[in-house]
Amino acid sequence: MVVGEKCETGIKEIDVQMNGGIPVGSTVLVAGSSGSGKTTLCMQFLMHGARKGEKSVFFTITEPLFKLLGNLEKFEFFDKSLVDNGTVTIIDLRIIFERMGLDTEDYTVEDASALLDVLKDIAKELNAKRLVIDSVTALCYRLKSDEMIRDFIFKLGTFLAAMECTTFLTSEIPPRKFKYSKNDIEEFISDGILLLGDIERGGDLIRTLQIVKMRGVNHSRTKYAMNISSRGVELAPLLKMR
Amino acid sequence: MSTTLIDGLKERISTSISMYESVGLVLPGTNYTDLVQALFGCIKEHPQDAWIYITVTRPFESFVKMFGDLSRYPNVTFIDCISRASGIARNDEQCIYVESPTMLENVTMELNSIFAKIPEGSSKYVVLDSISTLMIYNEPSLVTEFFYQLLNKTRAEGIHTISLTVEEGETDKYINKLIYLNDKIIKVRDTFI
Repeated sequence: MVVGEKCETGIKEIDVQMNGGIPVGSTVLVAGSSGSGKTTLCMQFLMHGARKGEKSVFFTITEPLFKLLGNLEKFEFFDKSLVDNGTVTIIDLRIIFERMGLDTEDYTVEDASALLDVLKDIAKELNAKRLVIDSVTALCYRLKSDEMIRDFIFKLGTFLAAMECTTFLTSEIPPRKFKYSKNDIEEFISDGILLLGDIERGGDLIRTLQIVKMRGVNHSRTKYAMNISSRGVELAPLLKMR
Repeated sequence: MSTTLIDGLKERISTSISMYESVGLVLPGTNYTDLVQALFGCIKEHPQDAWIYITVTRPFESFVKMFGDLSRYPNVTFIDCISRASGIARNDEQCIYVESPTMLENVTMELNSIFAKIPEGSSKYVVLDSISTLMIYNEPSLVTEFFYQLLNKTRAEGIHTISLTVEEGETDKYINKLIYLNDKIIKVRDTFI
């Protein structure tokens, strides 16, 4: 983390809560169940930086590129020209796995180390200031021990922090379970946690977002109501049932 | 429909909103249509002002039927909280559809988004139609919090609010509490003119 400097997310309420944004160089876990808005939030975060000229990288493991781009085109925040001119680079990690011969189920320590080096090289070469891995759950699935997962995320986070690159790692969790990650490890290594969830009200599901943790920032842990419209992710204070 | 009643209502609303930031209108169900006519009279008379009409009572389509082509009122944008929940699927330039009247926070988000696009210097008005219908779909405590938030936000930003309450028999104690949060209350009676 770079003390004092903030990385604006582009989502007003988050930035206001954190006095201007996330501390630069932080690794933030964006945890949520399927359809909770993790990918949209992360891409909005990248696009906001890219509009200011910050280089960004989005690693996808869960969705093929054409599907991802197709889904993003409906959002006003998405500017394809920023992808075309290389300000935002979107990489399908599965292609890298294949090229490196890492398409096995279980990674050895050497495999994990080789993959880590590739991710670091890409971030360094592109001079990325914002980076997303969607999802860290799918990435860690191949790392078979807690130590390997911890080591991988810690080393990646440390390297990116030194580059002053702010990183979002999406974490897939089951709906309405009090968990931040599948392995219960990622949250301890991350500097911050944004938890996406939902609550039921009158038979309707209201999306929610909560800043659970953010090192170096005094922030509220109140839940926000979240909406995903053509404008992207928006928040408003959640009305409380009594 | 009585033109005298509508004109009288229009005049009272116009005078009140020029003097007060939040105006509560309490009316019997039988006068609902007259009041809507009066409100649209106010909207038409001030084309330079920006209006947002939050409807929970009737779908947007019903306003189209009542007033015809709403492009004659380009200064009003609707937030329709009832159509989607009733299975009505339309797309209209002048209307934003919220999935359900229980999604009150989404109404706040849509309000913020619309007001962000309105140029500085325009007078801004929000019509909430109505508190009594919101109470049908939501817990009274939620509607209370929503209304407090709405009034606080609009007051802070110099936006005028007009909230409707349809009186049916004995008005609910929660609604009574909310009405009195307004700066001015107009109780519509058949004999009030």
